[in-house]
Amino acid sequence: MEENRDKGPEIVGFACSYCTFKASEMAGSLRMKYPEGIRVIQVPCSSRVDPAFVIKAILEGADGVFVAGCHPGDCHFIKGNFFTRRKIAALKEMFKAFSMDGRLKLFWVSAAEARRFVDKVTTMYKELKEERDAGKKN
Amino acid sequence: MRAGIFICHCGHNIKHTVDVRRVSEYFRKIPGVIVSTDYAFVCSEPGQDIIVESIKRYNLDRVVIASCTPSLHGDLFKDLLKKSGVNPFLLRRVSIREHCSWVGDDVELNTEKAKRLILAGLYSASHYIPLEEKMVEVEKSALVIGGGVSGLSAALFLARMGIKVYLVEKEAELGGHVRFLGNIWPSGRKGRDIVGEMIEELKGLTNVEIFTEAEVTGFEGFFGNYGVTIRQSDRERKVIAGGVVVASGFVPFDPAIKPELNYGKDQRIVTTFDLERGIEPPDLPDRPRVAILHCVGSRDEAIGKSYCSRVCCVNALKVAETIKGRYPDSYVESFYMDVRAHPRGGEEYFEAVQERGVLFTRGNVGEIVPSESGVILRGEDTLFGEVYEREFDLVILSIGMASSPGNRTLAQLLKITLDKDGFFLEAHIKLRPYDTAVKGIFIAGSCSGPKDTEESINHGRASALKLFGMLNLGYAFVDPFISWVDPKRCSGCRQCEEACIAKAIKFDEAKRVVKVEEAACMGCGLCNATCPSSAITLKGYMDSFIGDEISGLLEVV
Repeated sequence: MEENRDKGPEIVGFACSYCTFKASEMAGSLRMKYPEGIRVIQVPCSSRVDPAFVIKAILEGADGVFVAGCHPGDCHFIKGNFFTRRKIAALKEMFKAFSMDGRLKLFWVSAAEARRFVDKVTTMYKELKEERDAGKKN
Repeated sequence: MRAGIFICHCGHNIKHTVDVRRVSEYFRKIPGVIVSTDYAFVCSEPGQDIIVESIKRYNLDRVVIASCTPSLHGDLFKDLLKKSGVNPFLLRRVSIREHCSWVGDDVELNTEKAKRLILAGLYSASHYIPLEEKMVEVEKSALVIGGGVSGLSAALFLARMGIKVYLVEKEAELGGHVRFLGNIWPSGRKGRDIVGEMIEELKGLTNVEIFTEAEVTGFEGFFGNYGVTIRQSDRERKVIAGGVVVASGFVPFDPAIKPELNYGKDQRIVTTFDLERGIEPPDLPDRPRVAILHCVGSRDEAIGKSYCSRVCCVNALKVAETIKGRYPDSYVESFYMDVRAHPRGGEEYFEAVQERGVLFTRGNVGEIVPSESGVILRGEDTLFGEVYEREFDLVILSIGMASSPGNRTLAQLLKITLDKDGFFLEAHIKLRPYDTAVKGIFIAGSCSGPKDTEESINHGRASALKLFGMLNLGYAFVDPFISWVDPKRCSGCRQCEEACIAKAIKFDEAKRVVKVEEAACMGCGLCNATCPSSAITLKGYMDSFIGDEISGLLEVV
């Protein structure tokens, strides 16, 4: 595991089929670049993401987890993403107790926003990398 | 588990940044993997044959195809499994092109990422259970939103093929913007005649219902049985439509957004659309000086419209020719960035207009200042690198197309997506240019980006044809990704019932457990994530599938 860690943070993302996963497909088609450590799991709706999945990913060694869905009001399942927002907010509170809230992100990316998807995940990657590098120095 | 892994090179697309050979060798060592191979194009006939033969020879019960994104070729591989006698829901597609080879350049890291992605897919697939696709009946009717030229051509095509059509138009008259056009290049026909013929034929057909001054206010259901609410003045009407063609059109760009053009403050500054609509410019002298501005509201980052509107160059050429025809001694100068006379014959037309004496100056106009003697134009000639200032009697702005502000509401209602410019987004820019991400909803005409009349008619017909193909079958398969309750585990806490958006979960008072109404379930999985006793499961996205996918993604390879 140590050997792998030097290659940069590993991020597991949950992306809803209708918006963010489409955006990630589009980012690929447009040959946009983002770090290899970022890997996406397709879920039907962001509300399918059980907080247990996030915890599982962290336990299995992920440095960060993001949950991404359609913009509020655009959810294919009408208001699934509102439930996601509440759930992730609660989980984030829990993460805060361990000073880990930077490792969990929630964001909205529509199917057309490939650029936004890449920006969001790259920013998250950079933040985690900086945080870890700072930790190493200390 | 007897799994087969098929890794696609996609020509050079995957191979150039992923060491596919190493990946396929790696998987041969994984327990449960019977066959692991790579091939240049898995979607080609020989590639398909490899899969079919492997299934037969090794008696495979899981197929993992690592290639392009799952939304491409989805049905192709499903059918392949069906033909080979394997349940199509035991197929796993792993995207190593859009999510791996195209987004990273490092071969080592990409190869490792591909291994993990496929491993995740394999782990996930190991839990897959066979599912049966549900067959639903499809209502042979269609809703066409928008009565412009593309909406009319779509409606006409569908109606001729015997599909019941509901045409909804927000204005009092059908025909959209085309009905104002006086001379459609290159045929020279009047727009009113073109749409007039269509409207006449449409009104003569018995299976068409036209709603003018109407709008769609409610939309629910799924492909084959969309429930649509149409409001016409104060009356509401509910209809069932099998599919939808969205042809809501565009709005002409409003040059008043650019104050430096002084549009609307002086009669001598007009747009091409004003002229088409028959607004007469002020009286001109016998030898008028006329300026024509290209790219007004197009390719302009400053106002957030970076796209080319595609029609305005030909419009500008047409108006220049018209003026030269009416006033042979006139001085006509066009200010352009590039002349993109893209339709067939456009370049020749551009040459012909130049030969008639129309001058072309490269460099957009920075400022229009009306004065007593004439309208003064200032800007920079980018070919000579010098500043110009000239006076004209008439300035014509060749305006572009902007997305309709109503698109936002419509997109939210139909759950389809807009692009950054507010036009409707197609499912795939090259392979599915007429589809939206939602099954049975198609887009037509300039609501999905600027198009000329000919393209709009074609787009409308193409969308109608694709929809007709789906409706005419009379049935459709729906993914059986719906929730299922394990009554033994259910504690009857009813949290899922409260959460369910579709109200598909009902509480059984006698047994004290919940159950899912299959027809109503949308398959979002919210209940699955809500249930504290893990009693409710979304088929196709079970906890074990996603849980092990996470493990696969993070495993050391």
